[in-house]
Amino acid sequence: MIATAVSGIIFANSRDEAIEKMTKVRSMASLPFGGRYRVIDFCLSNLVNAGITSVGVITKSNYRSLMDHIGSGAFWDLDRKRGGVHILPPFNISGARRYHGYVEALYGAMDFLNRCNSDYVVLCDGCVVANVDIAAAVDFHIKKNADITVVYRSGVQVKDVKNMMTMKLDSDDRLVSVNFPRSIAADDLASLGILVFRRDLLIELVNNAYENGGRNIDVDIIADRVGDLRICGYAHNGFSAVMTDMKAYTEANMRLLDKEVRADLFNPKRRIMTKNRDDMPTRYGTKAEVKNSFVADGCVIDGEVSNSILFRGVTVRRGAKVVDSIIMQDCVIGENAIVSDVILDKKVGVNSNTVLKGTADCALYVEKNQKL
Amino acid sequence: MIRKKCVAMLLAGGQGSRLGVLTAKIAKPAVPYGGKYRIIDFPLSNCINSGIDTVGILTQYKPLELNDYVGSGKAWDLDRLSGGVHILPPYQGQKGGDWYKGTANAIYQNIGFIERYDPEYVLILSGDHIYKMDYSKMINQHVETGAACTIAVLEVSKEEASRFGIMNTNPDGSIYEFEEKPANPKSNLASMGIYVFSWDKLKKYLTEDEANRDSSNDFGKNIIPAMLNKGESLRVYRFGDYWKDVGTVDSLWEANLDLLNPRIDLNLSDPNWRIYSRAGEFPPHFISDKAKVENSLITDGCEVYGNLDYSILFENVTVEEGASVEYSLVMPGAVIKKGAKVRYSIIAEDAVIGENAAVGAPPESVSPEQFGISVVGDNLTVGKNAKIGPKTVITENVEEGASI
Repeated sequence: MIATAVSGIIFANSRDEAIEKMTKVRSMASLPFGGRYRVIDFCLSNLVNAGITSVGVITKSNYRSLMDHIGSGAFWDLDRKRGGVHILPPFNISGARRYHGYVEALYGAMDFLNRCNSDYVVLCDGCVVANVDIAAAVDFHIKKNADITVVYRSGVQVKDVKNMMTMKLDSDDRLVSVNFPRSIAADDLASLGILVFRRDLLIELVNNAYENGGRNIDVDIIADRVGDLRICGYAHNGFSAVMTDMKAYTEANMRLLDKEVRADLFNPKRRIMTKNRDDMPTRYGTKAEVKNSFVADGCVIDGEVSNSILFRGVTVRRGAKVVDSIIMQDCVIGENAIVSDVILDKKVGVNSNTVLKGTADCALYVEKNQKL
Repeated sequence: MIRKKCVAMLLAGGQGSRLGVLTAKIAKPAVPYGGKYRIIDFPLSNCINSGIDTVGILTQYKPLELNDYVGSGKAWDLDRLSGGVHILPPYQGQKGGDWYKGTANAIYQNIGFIERYDPEYVLILSGDHIYKMDYSKMINQHVETGAACTIAVLEVSKEEASRFGIMNTNPDGSIYEFEEKPANPKSNLASMGIYVFSWDKLKKYLTEDEANRDSSNDFGKNIIPAMLNKGESLRVYRFGDYWKDVGTVDSLWEANLDLLNPRIDLNLSDPNWRIYSRAGEFPPHFISDKAKVENSLITDGCEVYGNLDYSILFENVTVEEGASVEYSLVMPGAVIKKGAKVRYSIIAEDAVIGENAAVGAPPESVSPEQFGISVVGDNLTVGKNAKIGPKTVITENVEEGASI
């Protein structure tokens, strides 16, 4: 049997509670993002772009939309005879229960970990939007002879995030301490939830932590072992966003209107792949007036759109105005309707002449399938 | 092998020489269309939407890009254990081999492929047209009438009729005569180049035709007339929806801009009849606050900072600030630099139009004889401030400030 050098694991129900309203009908990893993506596309593409062909996706709840999205994995070239993508639902070992914390989650996925036969495993938090060079992180891990490598964010980032592990490094990039602050300062080195382990060590650490009642990787494995394990930090210098709440989600989407963010996140050398829907290109009508917007295929625009993100298949009728908003797949904005500072989930219909307004500080969120 | 009721054979070997520089490196069916499609997406999507999952693609001219594009057929749901899509180039056998001598010979050389599926019917298609058609309705008519061959026809105007192969029919739809580009057409039913044959009949006529050394081994010139001579039952299948031959630069340009015409019924987003394509992995497109976009189609990967009117941007096109694109097609990866003006033109893949250059001219600015669509070939650069007039085809780089 040929061993693949590296395999990947994605936690799909990461921080579901952070954006409760939107994760009511889906997992965090299947949250729609950036016009045609779901958050997990970034993790999946990062792993695949690093040459990783065996990926486990650990789920807990609400995973119908995720399974539908991933399918056979073909869109990420992960429909493989050897390896490929495996959805790892809860209850997949006897006596298992819904996990609390990633230690239990990994314990429940021990079958996958035992079988994947790679030298290294990369763990990815499914709430991170970034184009990370994972191949470089693994090279770093090997070169540093590290036990664990934590990818941390540095450079352009969405500011308003909470509840992330921060760390201090010595001159040799080795972790000397970690911290769990309530809010993150600009110069904090915050973990991006991407961790590289030697596979045998990961299995051992998870088994030990599980037996000792540990739940959280950051707390019960990393913080606990900073002193005796060689844990290193690898800087991701590009754009990154962590979906720690609705505001971070909104800001991360809006940052796509920045040319440099787009160039970094959609780096042509490491493409972000997603499920294709075969929409036709977007049609702009005679009365269309679109400014500073990021627009996916399949839209029909006859109204005004500015500073907004339009997902696939959105219709903006004549006289309608869409301002500072995120409009998800297949929404229809009726004639002369006004929508500003709003997040419309999938298939929302806004009737003619209706006015929907949120505030710059707090976007108005409308649930899936609503007709207003 | 599971038996297939109908196998489709797609003739994709033509050079498409009237498209000139646009088919200098690729076969005609691989020519980009409509922002994110290629011509071949239409017959392939029609096949899968009509329930035909076994398609042989006959290639000959510059097949590399076409082979690469079709791949396993996955994009059209044609990657199947049984059937699916197969690229069929000419091949060498024990007694030697030959290029495809004509459309009929191409099918003749692949009798072995067809027989593996033991079909009752064979559908012959070409990769030259933009249309959405339910082939299963045509096959049903063929079965019900018991014809040996059914030919799809379109009503054209009397003036146009002399450009087509014309079917002269009896009131019941049976064909008594076929005339190729007649000077004085007797009917206005033009062949669309789509045939359904009962396989036993087609095999017989292909074999006889092959034995005839004087034959040019062509469906229109040889097979159909031979069948009529022998008194076989040939019938027309009338088609009334959008159909366009994209064999020339002008017709390719026109067929593209038809997508922007609200009076033309060519909806490519019908969820019940999707046109599939093998799209690249590009992010959504971006329209800047300096841009003005009207009456246009734009797809993934584009970045628009300039003005667009009545145009189609294919994948990954950049239109810089102050540039304007009107009544034009800009194919994948092309860049229109600052202040450049592109009008009534086709800019092929990965071409670069330099700053303040001007390509093409609107019909009202020149005399009717001078007017025509200009084309800039793929991967070419038009230098800064260069001027390219109407009806001009650019096949090599144009220097800065040049006037052509």
